Amino acid sequence: MAGTDQLSAVFSALADPTRRAILAELAERDATVTDLTASFSISMPAVSRHLKVLERAALISRSRSGKWRESRLEAAPLREAADWIEHYRRFWDSSLTRLDAHLAAVQAAGQATDQMADDTREPE
Amino acid sequence: MNADTPQLVISRLFDAPRELVYRAFTDPDHLAAWWGPTGNSLPRDEIEFDVRPGGFQRWTEVNEASPDLRVHVHVALTDVTDGELLEGLMHVGGRLQEGIEPFRTRLRVEFHDASEGRTRLEIRQWLPEHLTHPSNEGWRQAFTKLDAALANPRILAADHRKADAWQS
Repeated sequence: MAGTDQLSAVFSALADPTRRAILAELAERDATVTDLTASFSISMPAVSRHLKVLERAALISRSRSGKWRESRLEAAPLREAADWIEHYRRFWDSSLTRLDAHLAAVQAAGQATDQMADDTREPE
Repeated sequence: MNADTPQLVISRLFDAPRELVYRAFTDPDHLAAWWGPTGNSLPRDEIEFDVRPGGFQRWTEVNEASPDLRVHVHVALTDVTDGELLEGLMHVGGRLQEGIEPFRTRLRVEFHDASEGRTRLEIRQWLPEHLTHPSNEGWRQAFTKLDAALANPRILAADHRKADAWQS
């Protein structure tokens, strides 16, 4: 089996924002369907369906015992990958905010220089 | 490693002409002014750029909060179009944070004209190979189970009826 197609398939499985949000929640703590339903504004059956999809992809496991089945984030490599992506997302967000300020400052300085040049020329 | 699909996609508008935004990435003095989170700095004498296809950009990152760390970044530029495109393989090494091994990440930055003299920056970044390699045991297990799920359209169809977003 080619790894490339499989990797794409996993990321496709993660294309749904609700499922990503559920994984993010489970990265913090194990949770029951009831917990997750309280966190998201979707119905309990909808949460259950998302959990089934995630479980089938081996991204989570669910405890078998008791009435309150807790879901647990399982895929350590996925978490590592998600952490890496999150790290870089924050990195770019912070850097590009600085870039925005830098570009504004450079252009303001440029305009001031132009203005000075205009002022100098004015007496002609 | 997946050659096509980037795992990180960022799009952002800047109120500046394209040439200036491009220069902010390719002029050492400009890059040093904004690259990295707050507290990060790039010693000017350790920045070296040779921006052309087959060229490179290299610099060192230091952080006042973690003076022991010295991150060496070397971007081997594979694709460069003046004012429009930078693509390369970014090698991150040096004295990194504990638990972080040196890694390589493919990076593509596109500069597009936008309305009213603005510039749209499109950043694409790919996960390092060690996080996506199929020999990784966790991935292998996930893939095996996912393959089984994908091979059973009946189960998927059942999920599909009301769930909206399985995009395969």
